[in-house]
Amino acid sequence: MIREAVILVALSTVLALGINLVSPNAIPYVGEYREIHTGDGPIVPPEASPGDPPFIDINTANMLYTTDQAIWLDARIPEEYVCGTIPGALNISFDYLPASDEEMYAQFDSVLAGVAKDDPIIVFCGGEECEASLHMARLMQDDLGYSNLQVFYGGAREWKRFEFPVERSDECVE
Amino acid sequence: MRRIIDNDYFIMLGRLILGGVFIYASWYKIIEPGAFAKSIWYYHMVPGSFINLMALILPWIELLVGLALIVGIWFRGAVLLVNGMLVMFIIALTSAIARNLDIDCGCFKAAESATSSAWETLIRDLIYMVFSVPMLFTRSRRWMLVGGKAPTKPATPQSAALSG
Repeated sequence: MIREAVILVALSTVLALGINLVSPNAIPYVGEYREIHTGDGPIVPPEASPGDPPFIDINTANMLYTTDQAIWLDARIPEEYVCGTIPGALNISFDYLPASDEEMYAQFDSVLAGVAKDDPIIVFCGGEECEASLHMARLMQDDLGYSNLQVFYGGAREWKRFEFPVERSDECVE
Repeated sequence: MRRIIDNDYFIMLGRLILGGVFIYASWYKIIEPGAFAKSIWYYHMVPGSFINLMALILPWIELLVGLALIVGIWFRGAVLLVNGMLVMFIIALTSAIARNLDIDCGCFKAAESATSSAWETLIRDLIYMVFSVPMLFTRSRRWMLVGGKAPTKPATPQSAALSG
C-alpha cells in the first residue's frame, strides 16, 4: 500500500518537474514569496470611497507578481516610469491623458492591446503621495468598463523599499 | 457493513466519482500552475519556498491517482493518497474558515472565479470520504487492471477448520 503510494508520488514529481521545464506556463521551482509584516494591511488613501476597486498590500502585490497573475499599469508620467517600475508594467500616465475621449480610448486600446476588460489589472503610481493610481482605476472602472481592477497604493516606492526587482529603461534621465 | 464495503458496484461507483473528480480538478492546475500557486498562497499555510513546488506536484498526483482509481492499478496506494489528500483539504478548509479567510478554494477553477464557498467545498470533501474510507478496507477487486492484494479475510471457524 505504502509502496504503491510512493510510486505514484514519485511518478507525479518526475512528470511535474519535467513538464515544467518545457511548459509555456512554467513557474520557478522555488517562488520568492516574502511575507512582509507591515501590520496594517493595504495602504488605503483617505479619499477612497466604497465603490473604488480593492486596494492590495505589498504581500498580495508580490504574490500576484511572482505568480504572474495580473497586468501591471503604472499611472505615473513616462519620465518616472522609465526610471524604475515593476518589471513588465505598462504605462499610461494619468496626468498626460489626452483631452479628447477619442484619443484617450485609442491610447488605452494600444497600450492595453490584447487585454480583456475582465483581465486582472493592478494600477499603481509613485506611492502614498500620489493619487494617479486611484484616479486612473476609477476612470478605467467607471468610464472604460474594466471590471477586474486593483490598486496597489504603496506603489513604486513601497515596492523598492522592500527591494523587489525593478525595471529601469536606458531612457532614464536623472 | 462488510457487505457494502465489499460490494463491487459501490466500490466501482466510488472509483468513478473520485477518479473523475480528481482528474477534472487536476486539469486547470496543470495548465495554470501560477494560478494554483496563487490559490495556495491565499491559505497562508504553506511556507513561501514550498508554494511553487506544491503547485507543480500536487496536480500531477491528483491526475495519476484519479487515473489509477478508474483503471484499477496500484489501487491501494491510490486509495491511501486520495484519503490523505482529502484529509489535507479538509484541514486546510477548516482552518481557512476558522481564520475567517476570504478564500476561493482553488479546487477546480482559476483563482479569480470563486464558484463555491469554503463551506460547500468542505461538505463536498466530506461526502467524497463516504466512498474513499470504505475503499481502504474493501476486498472488491472487480474491474481492475491490477488490483493488488486485497486485505485478507478474517479467519472464520470454517476456513480455519479447512486449512487445519
